Amino acid sequence: MKRLFGILSVLALVACSSNNCPLENIVTCNYHFYDREGVAIKYGDTFTVTTLLPGTKTVYIYRKLGYTTVTVDRPDTAYTNAGYTETIATARRDTVLINKASNRSYVQVPMSYYNKADTLVFAYSSISRRDTIIVQHDAYPHVELPECGTHFYHNLRSIRATDAAIDHVEIVNPLVNNEKKENVKIYFNGVVE
Amino acid sequence: MEWLSKVLLTTLLLLSVHTMGAQDEPIVILNETDTIRPTKYIAPLTEKPKLALFQGFTLSADILGPIIYLFSDYGSTEAALRLNLKNTYFPIIEVGYGKCKSTDVETNISYSTSAPFFRAGIDFNILKNKYMDNRLYVGARFGLSSFKFDMSGPNMTDPIWGGSSPYSYHDAKSTSSWMEFVFGVQVKIWRNFHMGWSVRYKQELHIGQPSYAKPYYIPGYGTTTDTSCWGGTYNLIFDLNWGKRKVKSGE
Repeated sequence: MKRLFGILSVLALVACSSNNCPLENIVTCNYHFYDREGVAIKYGDTFTVTTLLPGTKTVYIYRKLGYTTVTVDRPDTAYTNAGYTETIATARRDTVLINKASNRSYVQVPMSYYNKADTLVFAYSSISRRDTIIVQHDAYPHVELPECGTHFYHNLRSIRATDAAIDHVEIVNPLVNNEKKENVKIYFNGVVE
Repeated sequence: MEWLSKVLLTTLLLLSVHTMGAQDEPIVILNETDTIRPTKYIAPLTEKPKLALFQGFTLSADILGPIIYLFSDYGSTEAALRLNLKNTYFPIIEVGYGKCKSTDVETNISYSTSAPFFRAGIDFNILKNKYMDNRLYVGARFGLSSFKFDMSGPNMTDPIWGGSSPYSYHDAKSTSSWMEFVFGVQVKIWRNFHMGWSVRYKQELHIGQPSYAKPYYIPGYGTTTDTSCWGGTYNLIFDLNWGKRKVKSGE
């Protein structure tokens, strides 16, 4: 009888300490990839997604006739020794959100808490041009349960993109929360055969 | 002549005896397979007097809610007024006051509210014998609470783009409703005093919430960790026999 009481007590304690928060308790805007005709694809090229941050930084630009211009955050004597011309300039601060992803059918990107718009830069390995996506959104804090912590949810207001590799973009679900639903469709150039 | 009169008299007597026998005993045609069984005694039917529709009011108070509040972050106190119809149907109104003040130890988010709530519904006595003072009942309730709550937590800092702001909201408004399905027992203790308990399955119908927070505790319902929950009451019950008539007049 004592053993039964003990087991029941442990079960009661376990029941009391259960956590009701979702396993993936992170808020991201989910971009899914399609070809120009709207067929879901896995984008085969390797790409990196960076975002612009508030403020500026000092950058070092190295140019040489007939060669690709290189922009780095720190001075690099290797370029000057190779005949490049160094130019010091200021640029918007940025940070990498997704580094060298490939063969992906979607990306999950966090959104800013206090900015009205986020700028995402898609850099591809196979083409020199980059795509910039600007997404405007309203952010608001939300607590589903105290045990799950605070989060920022977002309402997407508008989105636009350049056309290096992207044909067009479309908002399909403006509410960005932790439910992991598709929010934006990115239609890339070309059609899957 | 005397002989003739004797024959006639004997014939009349025989006829009369046969006729009398036919009146007292039923004519039973027995098959060979039939067996004769003893007749079962059937008591004469005594009809119980019909219960009058109105059987008085019942006033009850819950003592489980305040006890829970002593040992947890939330609890409630409530009272109910129940109408007794034929000892079978019990339309009921429950009014209470719920309170919650909690801080999550991991996230440091605080929640507090205190507000009245209201329930209305009906119980049905499922005991076969409606004349008993004890009752076993099932029922349903519609619950409603309009309340304000405070919620606050640590500053929210953007880990990528930067910036920080406090999370603190006061007097957020919510009007929430729910359904309850009730199973309960009520036992007579002494005269008009009863005690009993009820188990309740509660299902959210509508949770009014601002964009920044879902209310963690709804007075009368409980915590909103799921869309349904279990609850219970332990009641002290008094039968108020104002104007009660046990049976229909004239019976």
